[in-house]
Amino acid sequence: MERARISARQLFMLAILFEHGSAMVIPLGVDAKQDVWLAILCGMVFGGGLLFVYYRLFTYYPNLPFTSYSQRIVGSFFGKVLALIYVLYFLYISARVLRDFGELLLTFAYPETPLFILNAVMMLTVMYAVYKGIEVIARASQLFFFSLYWILMLGFVLIIIAGEIDVRRLQPILEEGWSHIFHVVFTQTLYVPFGELVVFTMIFPYLQREEKVWKAGFLALLLSGINLAMIMGMNVAVLGADIVSRSTFPLLNTIQEIRVANFLERLDVLFMIALIVGGFFKVGVFFYAGVIGVADLFALKEYQRLVYPLGISVLFLSLAIASNFAEHIKEGLRIVTIYMHVPLQMIIPIFLLLIAMVKHQKKERKGR
Amino acid sequence: MKIKRYPFLIFTLFICTLLFGCWSKKELRDLALIIAVGIDKKDGKYISTFQVVNPGNVAGATQRGGGSTGLPVALYTSTGDTLVEASRKASKQISRIPYYAHTNLVVVGEELAKEGIQQIFDVVERNPQFRPTANIVIARRQTAKQLLSVLTPVDKIPANQMIKTLELTEMMWGENVGTRLREVIESFSLAGKEVIMSSFHVDGNRKHSDDQENVRTMEPTARLRASELAIFKRGKLVGWIGKEEARGVLWILDKIKQTAVTVDWKGEKEALSYKVVRAKTKVTAQLRNGKPIIFVTVETEGDIGETFVAIDFTDPKQIVALEKVMQQEIKAEIEKAVHVAQKKKSDIFGFGEVVHRTYPKEWKKMKKTWDDKYFPKLDIQVKVESFIRRTGLRTRSYIQ
Repeated sequence: MERARISARQLFMLAILFEHGSAMVIPLGVDAKQDVWLAILCGMVFGGGLLFVYYRLFTYYPNLPFTSYSQRIVGSFFGKVLALIYVLYFLYISARVLRDFGELLLTFAYPETPLFILNAVMMLTVMYAVYKGIEVIARASQLFFFSLYWILMLGFVLIIIAGEIDVRRLQPILEEGWSHIFHVVFTQTLYVPFGELVVFTMIFPYLQREEKVWKAGFLALLLSGINLAMIMGMNVAVLGADIVSRSTFPLLNTIQEIRVANFLERLDVLFMIALIVGGFFKVGVFFYAGVIGVADLFALKEYQRLVYPLGISVLFLSLAIASNFAEHIKEGLRIVTIYMHVPLQMIIPIFLLLIAMVKHQKKERKGR
Repeated sequence: MKIKRYPFLIFTLFICTLLFGCWSKKELRDLALIIAVGIDKKDGKYISTFQVVNPGNVAGATQRGGGSTGLPVALYTSTGDTLVEASRKASKQISRIPYYAHTNLVVVGEELAKEGIQQIFDVVERNPQFRPTANIVIARRQTAKQLLSVLTPVDKIPANQMIKTLELTEMMWGENVGTRLREVIESFSLAGKEVIMSSFHVDGNRKHSDDQENVRTMEPTARLRASELAIFKRGKLVGWIGKEEARGVLWILDKIKQTAVTVDWKGEKEALSYKVVRAKTKVTAQLRNGKPIIFVTVETEGDIGETFVAIDFTDPKQIVALEKVMQQEIKAEIEKAVHVAQKKKSDIFGFGEVVHRTYPKEWKKMKKTWDDKYFPKLDIQVKVESFIRRTGLRTRSYIQ
């Protein structure tokens, strides 16, 4: 762990940017068709439950990151194995998000640029930020929080003015029933982006005042859940469920529909900015958690030494994980969800929390 | 860190990073700005026609009126098995890179429209350059190429002339409607909605339409004119709907902004014009004995525009009586439109989607046979409420 402190406000903004990150631009939970907004809100509610688990774990060990307290909970050996798994998970997901980001840029803006170049430029920036530490990332999030929000507001207002929203496209509500919604929630929207907050178990200990973790985290979850539901709902209301479900980036198509007064059109650049800002924070937070985790696990004093080797590994991993876009997406929806998100975001943290609770009760009894 | 030791190296790397932004650069003078694309099909091959803007001749040059200056647009035609192939093959004639970001108009030839237009939109959706807000029109009785090779006098670029005409007539008269590409694509996925598109045809003598002579006369020998609405069924052109019936379609679709309705009064034919200023349509569905009924409610508000008979407009009772006549007239238009669509078995009004939204469970059973079984026999209840608010600068007319 580095010696750093961030405020609750910074944590809140960082979490918001992290949540919006790629979730805002990808077709999130579109299998729910016109009820996608409902699927996201349900995902948020259950995501709140997961966040509570991470928070409880943190209250037992307020000064330790996940990789340290896992060793306290299940013993040194198993704890280290767990920590290693988590560190690899964080690094792998940061490579995945980096790939997402590169693929998106390549598809619509830079068709002739090699993926490696785009990913490399992004990764260099992320590596620099991580090298500088969590305080710098947190301060950057304060800056970008407002710019991102401003862009979102502007886009939203323009869409309304352009008169493209037709709420009838959101009807009929619950055409396939609740079971279908929950199927989408438990296979998609719960894990990305809400369950991904598990990475913040590495960042909570940096908070100045630990009692504010719950409030900041919960508010961030709530706000980003509502925002994402609104964004996807807006996409459906503008484009219709069918186009949204076939689109690689629905938000881009929605923004392209804006046509105000014959000159405010083709505002794709708004989408670009949102994509790059969100991508930076998502890759950055995952990568930071990975780097800090490795340093913590192997008891390195200066985590900075790890930034370059691990950064370059992540960069090459992002190119190697899939040979095409379809494969990348399929892996993300099927394999990663079942074999990584479900155990690492849900099963193991709940399991650890139960053990920690039992242990602490025993301790209390002994203390008495 | 050792950054201080290698300032030159770091600087070089930094500059290189910035240069990546220039990877796909395209200079403006290397682009062919395609303003309109025409698509026809012949012998199983697609014929694409590109209307390319000639930037030097758009502003200024033509205003000076010199006959020797060039035309504002140039036309290129290219053939291919697919549209991408045709577009790439066009490079054999155009010296610049075809650039679709400014394409505002897609013209489809009537023959191709009859054969089916479903195939041609995939590329449009897939290509990031193309705008989903582009308009699509059908070339009536012509090929797309013939329609695109007409020079126009006031708006120099023919594609712009067509788009602006379409927008204007939709707003002022309401027999035509601009259809965006996205609406067409959306309709393919909806079982309860078919798409309509406006058509254009060339009026007058087409022989020298692409010659500068055409725009040097006061009345151009060949003119572009908005024509009937094309009715589609599952991506195929099945019929045309024009005049009052076309306006009836727009009433139901809630696309009427302004128009003028002419009615008879006391035995006098076509005696009175009512200018509609605002109109609002609501479509709802109900199930009775398992059969859907559609309710169309139209509300209009407007002024008296013109009269050929003596009516005392100061008398509110007269106004109420007039409003009744208007309502019947508008209702008749709408019913005619419904009749035509039902005969063609094409649900251009999206009634199926209204049923879908209100009765999602029952819709699942109707979905497959909606077009052929349910829609042609659908019970449609039309209710019109017209309000005459003002009568212009005079009350009574001088006509006695």
